[in-house]
Amino acid sequence: MDISEKLSPLRKGLLEFVILKIVAGDKVYVADMLKLLGPTEFATQEGTLYPLLSKLRREELVDYEWQESEAGPPRKYYKLTPKGRTQLSTLNDYWKNLNKTLADLGN
Amino acid sequence: MQKVVTISLNGIAYQLEEPGYNQLRTYLERAESRLQDSPDRNEVMADLEQAVGEKCRAVLGPHKTVVNSAEIERIIVEMGPVESAEEKAAGATGSASADADAGAQSGGPPPRKRLFQIREGAMWMGVCNGIAAYLNVDVTWIRLAFVLLTIFSSGLWFVTYLVLMFVVPVAHTPEDRAAAFGMPFSTEELISRAKKNFEEFGDKYRWRREWRRQQRHLNRQFRHMNEQMRMATAQAQPAIHHAGRAIGMVFLPIAALISAALLVAFILALFSLVTQHTVFGWALPHGMPLWVGIVALAMLYIAISTPVRMIRHGGQQSAGYHPGWGAFHGLMWIGFVVLLFWVSYTYLPGVREVVDSLMWAANLTATTISETIV
Repeated sequence: MDISEKLSPLRKGLLEFVILKIVAGDKVYVADMLKLLGPTEFATQEGTLYPLLSKLRREELVDYEWQESEAGPPRKYYKLTPKGRTQLSTLNDYWKNLNKTLADLGN
Repeated sequence: MQKVVTISLNGIAYQLEEPGYNQLRTYLERAESRLQDSPDRNEVMADLEQAVGEKCRAVLGPHKTVVNSAEIERIIVEMGPVESAEEKAAGATGSASADADAGAQSGGPPPRKRLFQIREGAMWMGVCNGIAAYLNVDVTWIRLAFVLLTIFSSGLWFVTYLVLMFVVPVAHTPEDRAAAFGMPFSTEELISRAKKNFEEFGDKYRWRREWRRQQRHLNRQFRHMNEQMRMATAQAQPAIHHAGRAIGMVFLPIAALISAALLVAFILALFSLVTQHTVFGWALPHGMPLWVGIVALAMLYIAISTPVRMIRHGGQQSAGYHPGWGAFHGLMWIGFVVLLFWVSYTYLPGVREVVDSLMWAANLTATTISETIV
């Protein structure tokens, strides 16, 4: 099995965490999220992102508001909810612990 | 020149070239079916439509009002396969096997193989083409089999082709074609297949010429064989003349009756199979597609009727080759066929049902056609 194939489920699992991190900043539009992720390991596409965002909204971790755009119809801008913020900080802590564990193991 | 289809994406109208429209429709239909179980289906679909619309708008300008097929193709590739978030989570938390991962990448399990008529690269209606795709063999073999069976059944096998033509659906969308080949559907594969088809398109005409030449050759050979047979019987004629007469008087009508009965039974069985999926009360085995039943029935008919037909021909030859005789036997045979049809229509309620429903369908078609013309 190829190494990148082995890492693919890991990346997929982390995508949710990554999205929460992105929307934790300013309100973002999906096209901008894709642009932001494009050069990273988490490069993704609309086909994946929209279902994921809808799921996060259903879980009340993110929310969106409509904003007028100069060209075309209004756009959805996503932002983190208080509940999302709590979960993000939990995830952040978990990630730090994970890093520490990985660093300590085998030493 | 390309036909243009106007569509509305989230309330805004866009003009797409027709092939591009078909691809986009397939993409969105597929997305919708993948999101079947997701509670966010409507919302995600609206989001996707808006994203496609935005990408379309990016390629349009004051002097460009139509989105062409290549641009749609690119947009679909950019959008990527739609995967339900629920499914993805399950894949990540579960054992996350390579198979499940690959399945999610290419868009679910490969579609079930189905028999379609494939018009692209077809000689006529694409029935052979579809069967070849279904059986995954070269279409030349299927065509050869059809031609040989038609020759051996003196043309009756052709009826099977006609029936399949009406019963088997035509592959209209790229997804149908993918199902015809039993291949997973993805944009890249679609492009590569389209390229291959285009390359083969150029070969088609050359191939057709070759085919015609072979047919002419076959025809010449058959004529030659017939000539020889006639000469042989002419030489033997005086000796068997009287015996032949006697055989002709008694035996030929019986053979004609049997052959007529077989034909009537075959046609009735075929209709009953197509309309009610049973043959004289015997239902198709579960899971067997209709077309397999049709082909099997036709094979059976040819296997049974060929010896009878050979006996009739042989009998006619030995009874002396008189043009009047041939015509008389032909008429007698047609008479038997009509008589048997009438008898079965009158005395078998099942047959009457089938014929009546056919007449009704024919009537309806005729009315629809005349209404469309008017």
